Amino acid sequence: MNISAIRDIKDWPWLVLLPVIGFVLIGIFAPAIMPYDPSAQDYSATLEGMSWNHWLGTDYLGRDVFSRIVGGARISLVAMVIVLVAALAIGVTIGSFAGYVGGRVELVLISIIDIALALPSLVIALALIGILGTGYWSMITALTLAWWANYARMSRAVVTAELQQPYIEAARVMGAGHLWIFVRHILPHVLALVVVYASADAGALVLAIATLSFLGLGVAPPTPEWGQMLVDGMSYIEEVPRLVVLPGLALTLVVVSFNLLGEAFALQKVPRPVRGATLRRRRKARAREEAERNAVETGTTSA
Amino acid sequence: MSDAQPIYSIEDLVIDLYATTVSVRAVDGVSFNVRPGETVAVVGESGSGKTVMTLGPLGLLPEGVTVDMKGSARADGSELLSIGSRQLSDLRGRYFGVIFQDPMSALNPMLKIGPQLARQARRFAGLSQEAARKEAVSLLARSGIPDPEDRYNRYPHEMSGGMLQRAMIALALAARPRVLIADEPTTALDATVQAQILELIRQIQREDGIAVVLITHDIGVVASVADRVIVLYAGQVAEEGTAMDVLTRPVHPYTRGLLASVPDFRADERAATREIPGLPPNQIRLEPGCRFAERCELVEAGCRQHRPPLQTISASTSPHRVACPVVLKREGIAVHV
Amino acid sequence: MSDVAAIEVRGLKVHFPNRSGVGAVRAVDGINLTVARGAFHGIVGESGCGKTTLARTIVGLQKESEGTVLIGGRDRAEWLKSDRKSFSREVQFVFQDPLGSMSRRQSVYQTLEEPLQIHRFGSSVERRRRIAELLDLVALPATVLDRLPRSLSGGQRQRVSIARALALKPSILVCDEPLSALDVSIRAQIVNLFTSLQKQLGLTIVIVAHDLAIVREVCSDVTVMYLGRISEAGLTRPLFREPAHPYSQALLSAVPSPDPRIEAGRRRIILAGDPPSPSAPPPGCRFNTRCPVAIDVCRVEEPMLRSVPHGGVAACHLADSGRRPVI
Repeated sequence: MNISAIRDIKDWPWLVLLPVIGFVLIGIFAPAIMPYDPSAQDYSATLEGMSWNHWLGTDYLGRDVFSRIVGGARISLVAMVIVLVAALAIGVTIGSFAGYVGGRVELVLISIIDIALALPSLVIALALIGILGTGYWSMITALTLAWWANYARMSRAVVTAELQQPYIEAARVMGAGHLWIFVRHILPHVLALVVVYASADAGALVLAIATLSFLGLGVAPPTPEWGQMLVDGMSYIEEVPRLVVLPGLALTLVVVSFNLLGEAFALQKVPRPVRGATLRRRRKARAREEAERNAVETGTTSA
Repeated sequence: MSDAQPIYSIEDLVIDLYATTVSVRAVDGVSFNVRPGETVAVVGESGSGKTVMTLGPLGLLPEGVTVDMKGSARADGSELLSIGSRQLSDLRGRYFGVIFQDPMSALNPMLKIGPQLARQARRFAGLSQEAARKEAVSLLARSGIPDPEDRYNRYPHEMSGGMLQRAMIALALAARPRVLIADEPTTALDATVQAQILELIRQIQREDGIAVVLITHDIGVVASVADRVIVLYAGQVAEEGTAMDVLTRPVHPYTRGLLASVPDFRADERAATREIPGLPPNQIRLEPGCRFAERCELVEAGCRQHRPPLQTISASTSPHRVACPVVLKREGIAVHV
Repeated sequence: MSDVAAIEVRGLKVHFPNRSGVGAVRAVDGINLTVARGAFHGIVGESGCGKTTLARTIVGLQKESEGTVLIGGRDRAEWLKSDRKSFSREVQFVFQDPLGSMSRRQSVYQTLEEPLQIHRFGSSVERRRRIAELLDLVALPATVLDRLPRSLSGGQRQRVSIARALALKPSILVCDEPLSALDVSIRAQIVNLFTSLQKQLGLTIVIVAHDLAIVREVCSDVTVMYLGRISEAGLTRPLFREPAHPYSQALLSAVPSPDPRIEAGRRRIILAGDPPSPSAPPPGCRFNTRCPVAIDVCRVEEPMLRSVPHGGVAACHLADSGRRPVI
């Protein structure tokens, strides 16, 4: 599928977004869907094949693979949403503040943002986990701190551009205060752009969560998590490749379809007046390719 | 001068513009011509089709617009609508000089002013390198640019708005054109600079005897330089004739409204500025009948059914024509057949 | 209260730092101006003369470098600092570009409601009623309320922006070239709107314009600016009839009449060259580099404003209450 050839939202192959919808629904209703407790071990039924009892079989501890994949979706979804919301909140606040206040404060904040952007987010996350120690919440914290800077920079750019619009002066003449101007006029522009990018980042974030867990730095073992499942499955890759292939497949589907969603948004929604929209779309496309490559690589490590 | 043959003439021109989703009939059956030594003003508000009509046949419309032209546009013995793009571009270079509202749309910001002029003079007037350089300096001087030798080596960004406008006029004259087309040449300029530029155009015309087509919405500019006037409304000719006829004895209700809405601070009686109610029509919907009917005080039932014919009310080499049978009948103005 | 001027500008200077960091652009360079209550005051001049900066400084969109602006006798800088909202109920501004001055995301209704919300005007029902009144005032149909600014015509946009400025019932309206973005026939509609609004609401209006014919049509008083200074000021009619300053004479002469009979016989004053840069005004009279009647003293000494025959003032060495130079 040649993505760059698609220029109009109407031409978009909506079907490829099914995994996103499926992922979100499964994540929300996981407790109702899971036939077994995903952490419950059953030594009488280890490494079983697919059957009516265990649709996707069991792993080396006799845990139901289907339940673990569904549970993993929930873990990934929840973690991703927490990180995105937190990163957006921090990024939009800091970026908008910098852009609105201007002057020396802006310079200082910009330098911090630039430094944060200069380092790859996964590296930052790894370093932070090194400091915070491993665990679910330190993974969330680490990813949030690794992710906010992008949104901060975008927010600042939008705020700076909007502040120069004459209608901001018009609002000021009407007696509007700074808070009014920011909330009523500037924030909607910021959110419109940032949320689009966040939707494209969701896939990368799911992947990062899996990567950290795969490295043993994220979600701790008994909890079902796709990266965790990949690690567990590695030892049995010869006998039961399904244990690696299934979580890998779930991960790849979710990541790819989130990226397509982001692309669809970008085609339609990215507001034109904001400078370098094309440039950013290209950068985004490159990032997407990279994410896909990563996804495939994660798959190959395990396959 | 008035009995000379036209050197640029348009017959029954129809221009449809296509953008991505809509098509617009920008020019709807317009004829006009211009003779050597004459200044014809094409007057209309934005959206009247005045620029499309004049620059369309020359292939000078904005990029990204697809154009469909019917009718005829003749210059220098060629039919502009059917000749190849190469010949058209050659004709455009040597026969027509064009002045735009924004000088930067004609001048290359990366090149010095002088060499741009010299290149034009070499290419179209066939001058040698040295002669072209001299010509460029003299063009700059003629266009009222002080210290032309120095300006020859200046870049566009080093000059003021008025000076750039002069440089563009010099550029338009470099190929020694027969027809000078000026598209809102003074709209962006201040009053005192506008006066300078209009004086310059008058002077060039006196000296070279070229034909000038002036596209404008400024009635004052028309009154000060035009011999003949064509008033366009929504792509059709409302009224045409000598500047004296049209501006002092306007007949068409639109022309009258337009003139009444222009205040004149020299006329001493204080007639309150009248206004034409409403807005120009949306040309996306093509309807039969008079385009001005929606805003017209004299509108009758027939106005909305048939397109009013352009009727001659005073015959001469520059006849006064009006596309409004209603006003002619009401005021008992005789029509020449 | 009635004898307090609506606007009084004293010794106003507004300088902008040059891009190179050396020197400053002296956009407004020493202006005294009094606008009486109920006046329709025109400020004219060519681009770069500082007229827009002056208007923006009056309403506080631009900080003054020196001098003061008094609105109804109250110091504008103080007023804005202590009570921005009550200031904005007194003075409103109409922008040159109506489209840019409205948020492209807000419908006409939201645009008109915004000032009412900022000032906590009534309930939503009362606001709706006030918006309907405003539409009547500027002669717009209620059908525009749901539309976005982009889908309005130029004239409608300017009407909306005027309606918004009137929402808070200000007594002073400052307008920055409100007509220059409009077509000729639409311009006349908006001019007539301004005059009828002024009569109806008793507004004090300051209008920045470069169209002299319109200024003569509507303004009671006029101020002519050149390079950041006032070159001439007075009542519109007498000043236009016998302008005392050579610059005003040239400026008035530069505007062509729409009547070809007048045009054919009219003597035009064509000034040489362009106005000098406002960051380096010439010594002496600022107009001396282009003035056809300049004498030696003009190149050395800056002329003060003095009374001239038409009853106003002009800054020209050759003019005083008994005579005026004619070029």
